[in-house]
Amino acid sequence: MVANEKELERYRQERDWFKYLCSLLEQDPSELSQLSSEVTKVTIERYEEIIRCAEEDKPFIMGYFCAVPEIYEAMGLPWYMIMASPFLAASAPYLLDDIDAAVAMGLGTDWCTACRLTLYYIEAGLTPKPNALIGLIHPCDAGNMLHQAVARNQNWRDVPVFALDPPYFEDQRGIDYYAKEIKRMIAFIEEHTGHKLDIDRLREVCQESNKQYELWLEYAQLRRAVPCPHGWAMGGGQCFGVCQVMAVGKPSGTAWMRKLVDHTEKMVKEKKGPVPKEKIRYFWFDLLPFGWIFEFLPWLEEEWGAVLVMDMFGYTPYTPIDTKNEDTMFKGLAKRNLYESPMIRQARGIADYFTTDIRRVVEDYKIDCVIWPGHMGHKDGSASTGIMRETCRDLGVPYIHIGLDLFDKRYTTPEQCKDKMSQFFATMGLG
Amino acid sequence: METKIKSKALQEFQEVTKTLVNPAIQDWRDQGGKVVGCYCSYVPEEVITAAGFLPFRIRATGSTETELADACLSSINCSFSRHSLDLGLRGEYAFLEGVLWVNSCDHVRRIYDHWKRKIDTPYLRLLSLPKKTTEPQVEWYRQEIAMFKESLESHVGMQITEERLWEAIKLHNETRRLQRQLYELRKREKPPITGAETLSVMVAGTAMPKERYNQLLRELLDEISQSDGHADYRARLMIVGGILDDPAYIEVIEDQGGLVVTDSLCFGSRLMWKDIDEGAGDSLTALARYYIAERPHCPRMFGDQPRRSAFILDMIRDFKVDGVISERLVFCDNWTGEQFMMGEDLKEKGIPFLKLDREYVMAGAGQLRTRVQAFLETLGR
Repeated sequence: MVANEKELERYRQERDWFKYLCSLLEQDPSELSQLSSEVTKVTIERYEEIIRCAEEDKPFIMGYFCAVPEIYEAMGLPWYMIMASPFLAASAPYLLDDIDAAVAMGLGTDWCTACRLTLYYIEAGLTPKPNALIGLIHPCDAGNMLHQAVARNQNWRDVPVFALDPPYFEDQRGIDYYAKEIKRMIAFIEEHTGHKLDIDRLREVCQESNKQYELWLEYAQLRRAVPCPHGWAMGGGQCFGVCQVMAVGKPSGTAWMRKLVDHTEKMVKEKKGPVPKEKIRYFWFDLLPFGWIFEFLPWLEEEWGAVLVMDMFGYTPYTPIDTKNEDTMFKGLAKRNLYESPMIRQARGIADYFTTDIRRVVEDYKIDCVIWPGHMGHKDGSASTGIMRETCRDLGVPYIHIGLDLFDKRYTTPEQCKDKMSQFFATMGLG
Repeated sequence: METKIKSKALQEFQEVTKTLVNPAIQDWRDQGGKVVGCYCSYVPEEVITAAGFLPFRIRATGSTETELADACLSSINCSFSRHSLDLGLRGEYAFLEGVLWVNSCDHVRRIYDHWKRKIDTPYLRLLSLPKKTTEPQVEWYRQEIAMFKESLESHVGMQITEERLWEAIKLHNETRRLQRQLYELRKREKPPITGAETLSVMVAGTAMPKERYNQLLRELLDEISQSDGHADYRARLMIVGGILDDPAYIEVIEDQGGLVVTDSLCFGSRLMWKDIDEGAGDSLTALARYYIAERPHCPRMFGDQPRRSAFILDMIRDFKVDGVISERLVFCDNWTGEQFMMGEDLKEKGIPFLKLDREYVMAGAGQLRTRVQAFLETLGR
């Protein structure tokens, strides 16, 4: 069924916003802006691909970065994430109005704002309807409920839904089970889109994505340098976007990662970083505050010389996928998507991931302080705050739990966050 | 709403519900029995019974503060998780030989992480509970239960035989059958038992030896099946939600004239609406099938929402319900989503629906009273 105009209206606006951003970036000859502009172009292409599919009635699906995007790529199937919009700066012009509309719809105020917004977009008919939906039922309760509510929506009841069931502990039994879930997902996608999986093509995609992750690891290691070559504006988010969303297993993505590594090596050799004098190296252990990022993170750099050296989406220890045979590939995909994807890795299972990640990052990246932003939707993470605090105490590293909404700046305002951070830095003798 | 019941059995159930370590638990322990706490109704308690232990559903009854837990959790975690962990940290759960979890929700699963770091309890285990309800998940949970059984066997130093498991399943099924009989009486035009009293009966079933409980429940059923019921109510209500274990909450609703005649609660009908299949060949498969595929589910189970909705609609029809009240602990994402979907489903059917937020420890009775009064007025009662 061809999409109606309303479903695509917001999507086109977001695409146009990125086009505008791209034109600005292209005017800046710096290497960093050029790298950003390339990522923006890929983002625009993805928007256009989905719009084209919706207009021409060609199959496309709704999927996730942690629901084996390697499979969608190998099947040649366009896909998008219904939860993406709140995370993209393109949604900024109407973000607060949309949040209010979600509250008015009866979704309350303590459910993750990203989930509330996504459900609002579906209920308000502002999202292109896919041929099939891969729901996400982990790592959090809100995500699970969101996808149940989407499946229940009057206008989406004819969209077939599949979700991969996540085991709680990390072990071989969990990997084997999840690999079988992935096979069931493939059968589901084949049935509802007509696209078929070719194992040789999957091997190519996995091999290419292994190269991307190898480069990502190289890049992450370069961020250990003092000063850190990049701050909040370039790093984990872009690597994640390229390797796990926009250019999964594509040679173009690998080429971009190579350029990023080359540029970063140069920065390290020249001992350059995002601020003239790096004074505080912090680990931001969550997603970035996408709804109001420009009102907070640049201030940390400018006011305190505080540089984001690592964040939750930048630190993800991926294992290369063994492409020897079908069995090893599926088990590798299971491990990567279930146990290694950012946020999924930390939030899905036991709290030990919070402690091991803090330990590794603090030690490897010469971290001066750990910031747990405490997004209002991340209930499991905030329920781990005592464990994180004790881990930091053992390591002798200051820890702060802010308590904010990554999307709604009215929850804890940027000014309140700045006050909190200033008091924290001053009390801890940092900066 | 005044009670119509004189039975000592009900008084005993109410005592058990009001306290954490009740006389029945005390007697059990005095005789050398051990007690194992369970954090969720998806823990297969039958295995605990088969091991000779007493399964005890964790509550936070009597808790008044959360200072110790607040250092572990945060202000966006639900009050049940904070109060129950706080009791654990204060040593109030020192009488437990073990504690069991499933990964029920984002709040409760983290209590496991804190408990194992901070509280010295001999046996702790979390079972990995699937979030879907189809055959591969039944098989996964069968394996989980089998591994749990093995681990409990090595802790106890005895074998949990098929025979013992089937005995336990039959005993727990008997409890479920008796509880369903109680609910059957509530279908009457003049139900002989209030919603608050029923909740006491149900909570007590998770906190005392099943043999004694079943005997008392039979006595109660004998008495009330012959007695006059409540006719002085303004409306017949159904209550839907999560971990509500305090009858005082329902008392406030019923004091306004709304008689709660049925529910879909963690401590209510979802515990007992189905039996475990006693005709199945293998006890572990029977248990897994019951917990994953057959029992009425809570919102965490993906793909089950149409069935949950149908369960509520069937209840509304069978118990002649005039309106539905849904309660949710603040910060509970599972019930936020469920309330939204339930509200939409009930709106489509034209069934009056009231959505309430609450804290685990009863507070804001005045506000609750006002909301319920207004709801009853909208029902035209």
